[in-house]
Amino acid sequence: MIVSRGILIAVLTLAGMQAWAADAPAPQLSAASLAQAAKQDDFTIPTPGELLAALNKVGKPNWQAQYRAPIPTAYTSRPQIALNLGGLIADGYIAVEAEDSQQVKNIGNDIMALAKTLGIKENVLRRGKSIEDFAENNEWSTLKEELEATQNEVKLAMNEQHDEELTTLVTLGGWIRGTEAVSGWIATNYSEQAARLLRQPAIIDLLRSKLAALPQKTQDDPLVKGLDPRLKLLQGMVSFPAGQTPTQADVKKLHDAATDLISSVTSKR
Amino acid sequence: MKIPLLRTITLVITICCGAMPGRGDVATDTETAAHRSVLDLAGAFTNDGFKMRDGAYTSTLKAGESAVVEVNLYSGNQYWFAVSTADAKSAVSIGVYNEAGNMVKSEPFASRAADGAKDGAMDTDAASTNRAAAGFAPEASGPYYIKITNTTGVPATCCLIYSYK
Repeated sequence: MIVSRGILIAVLTLAGMQAWAADAPAPQLSAASLAQAAKQDDFTIPTPGELLAALNKVGKPNWQAQYRAPIPTAYTSRPQIALNLGGLIADGYIAVEAEDSQQVKNIGNDIMALAKTLGIKENVLRRGKSIEDFAENNEWSTLKEELEATQNEVKLAMNEQHDEELTTLVTLGGWIRGTEAVSGWIATNYSEQAARLLRQPAIIDLLRSKLAALPQKTQDDPLVKGLDPRLKLLQGMVSFPAGQTPTQADVKKLHDAATDLISSVTSKR
Repeated sequence: MKIPLLRTITLVITICCGAMPGRGDVATDTETAAHRSVLDLAGAFTNDGFKMRDGAYTSTLKAGESAVVEVNLYSGNQYWFAVSTADAKSAVSIGVYNEAGNMVKSEPFASRAADGAKDGAMDTDAASTNRAAAGFAPEASGPYYIKITNTTGVPATCCLIYSYK
């Protein structure tokens, strides 16, 4: 009888575990599941707006202080145009955080000008008009979504004209510019909480792997060729362990490295 | 409130026209239906000040099959991850995991029944319906993993999106 009760309890326990396993997500993912996780550019890599939103929680940044001088809009190298398009979209998020409608419109115009040099017009031009209208009406929340939609529209247009490889560079340009602006503010307004935001190991790992998979012709572009060593340097700076906090000097180094990279991306060749 | 609603309507119109925003390929009917359903669910978060990401992850899962998607989150932000299948009779679950693969505590979302429910009534069976969502506020910035599982006995097309604030 005792044995039977023991068997019954064991059977019920197993049945209960099976029922739980069928309905509830497993409490642990295997190393293989983590390694094989899907990574999608427009899902896995956050927008610059997400980083800026996080910084808003730990301080009151003067976003206008993170503006940069207008960049040229007459590049001839397509990879350079793509990188700068991404950077301009990040500038758009900064202007939205600053709630500066004129700056948003100026950046919107620069995005359209650069997009035209790539031959992508129609859809992006429509987005440009929307950006202008939303800026005119101070619709800051909607503008953040509109900027991401514009970025995706640019990428879609690139795909349609068989420039898929350039989409990675748009994402990369945006990430570098966002990191430059945020690290710049943290370097001068240091707090441990803000510094920990800069931990982004998987993003740069993914961007470097996508860069390494670009077609040889794109990789041979002098600007693209010079990106990886600099990104490797940045990777070391944003890949600190979760429990660790970068010092103010560490953040300054990161900002300088990001600024150096942005400077090389915007310089006319 | 007016503009986010307009934006959601625009997104729905966009996917109804056959293109998944942020994707270069043309969506199938079931992908479109799953996307429309998940946008409907995530509209609740938009009304609460969350910004919806334009990208979506779509996958057709066999019975009992799961998909794991990497995301990169920032501490201080709040996130909602929402998933839906195309078929209202199917069921899906969602879980959030940290970079060590451990499940983290997330807030489940009980969706309001889209049809037939009294105004304001909560759908208490939300966890076993074809729509599920998990709210999460990370303490550390870095990579996280979203696992979606088809908990029914038939294949289902799932669409996963996220919002942040």
